[in-house]
Amino acid sequence: MKHLKPLNKKARLLEKAADEGKAEEVHAMQTIAGCSSTLDPGWEVDPLGGVAWLCQPMEADLYGCSDPCWWPAQVADTLNTYPDWSTGADSAQRDWRTLQAVFPKNK
Amino acid sequence: MYRLTLTALAAAIIAVPAWAGSAQAKEYILTATKPDKLVMVDIAARKVAKTYTIPNATPGVLTITPSPDGKVAYVLVNRWESISGIDLDSGKEVFRADFSEGDIRTKGMFGMTISPDGKEIFIFQSPVRLGAGEYEVLDTHIAVYNTADGIGAKPVRKLPAPRRTAILSNSTDGKKLYAVNWDITVMDSQTGKVLDVHKIRNWGRKDHSEPDVLDVWPQWEQADIFSTPYYAVRTDVAMDHPEAFQTGMLTLDLKSGEFNMENFEPTGAIIFSTVVNPVRRNEVYGVYTTLSKIDIEKDVLVKRIDLEHTYYTINVSGDGKEIYVGGTMNDISVYDSETLEKIGRIEMPGGADQALASMRVIQR
Repeated sequence: MKHLKPLNKKARLLEKAADEGKAEEVHAMQTIAGCSSTLDPGWEVDPLGGVAWLCQPMEADLYGCSDPCWWPAQVADTLNTYPDWSTGADSAQRDWRTLQAVFPKNK
Repeated sequence: MYRLTLTALAAAIIAVPAWAGSAQAKEYILTATKPDKLVMVDIAARKVAKTYTIPNATPGVLTITPSPDGKVAYVLVNRWESISGIDLDSGKEVFRADFSEGDIRTKGMFGMTISPDGKEIFIFQSPVRLGAGEYEVLDTHIAVYNTADGIGAKPVRKLPAPRRTAILSNSTDGKKLYAVNWDITVMDSQTGKVLDVHKIRNWGRKDHSEPDVLDVWPQWEQADIFSTPYYAVRTDVAMDHPEAFQTGMLTLDLKSGEFNMENFEPTGAIIFSTVVNPVRRNEVYGVYTTLSKIDIEKDVLVKRIDLEHTYYTINVSGDGKEIYVGGTMNDISVYDSETLEKIGRIEMPGGADQALASMRVIQR
């Protein structure tokens, strides 16, 4: 935290947690056990920056990510916020074209 | 490395499952599809035997826990806020526990198991108090329900449990409860008293990083051994050394309590979930976009084949001859455990995805 300056309330809370020694409650994974090591550039990317080690086809993993809220920024969260997002689209590979983008109701 | 002890062998011979008295007992697969279907597959016929609609289940089924007699399936549904028990003969809901009440929203987080006598359901729960302007995260616990309480069941006791618990399993005698989190917490299943801790993240192994484990799949019913892959980095070699990244196998014998973690290959493929062969008990099969056979006596990869698509879940027949891969998409594929040759495929009703639903084998 020597080179990072918190700019908002959440960042200050993170700094406070680190100062209190609570940051160790979060551990980064040491290796890549599937899915992604990074949230950039999109939904999923493998440790080599490609898609070869991801689920095949990519649609196979869609509901495995949305139903448990695994990637809430990349895939609609059907666990809490958008429970009806996949209604009527029971096969991701067949029905993915019917799935819509979602937007927060309140900014 | 897992070694079958004389005691465990004797216990395996003596143990008689509840279904063994029926000459007609045969094996079925229990899985589920989106948004609310429980599916029972007749394995020998390679077809779906029955499909059940689960009340108020959407958007999908997560953990499936069958009763030991194979008559009821307890399923975690309703955005992880309810357990529904479905009678596999009548198709009726015979058990229902809704977790959330008032301003407390409670989710069941994958881990669910049933006592060997079928009388108690254990579910790991994470409650949150929903305030007007903030969420208050409350302590996690294992809630215990009496299956006899039927519709509207309430917890009969709550056992404190570590956050991040994703797998719950009973010892085969029902006295111990294993909670797999950063480590495996061994608890008295009645009192919740912590009896032991098998270290995973805190293993402290020389020349190794902390290991990573990702496991949310209950599929130990055939061999009574919980198994899961782990991944670690060797710290005694350079990161670009071909042996730097290691895959290993963790096993926990639910009869003897024996616990092991041993590397078996430099990481060559991702494995999501595994199952132990109940007959050739040194063989473990792992699945993701490949199907792997691993020898946990010699700690080596025996064979690996590419699959037609990714599967999350894997299970095995009671005679150890067939491997079933499922989850994710809309089919279960059957493989010969000796050759890893594909020998069958079962399509799910309506082509619907199984997503994260468990895949269990029952006898009835």
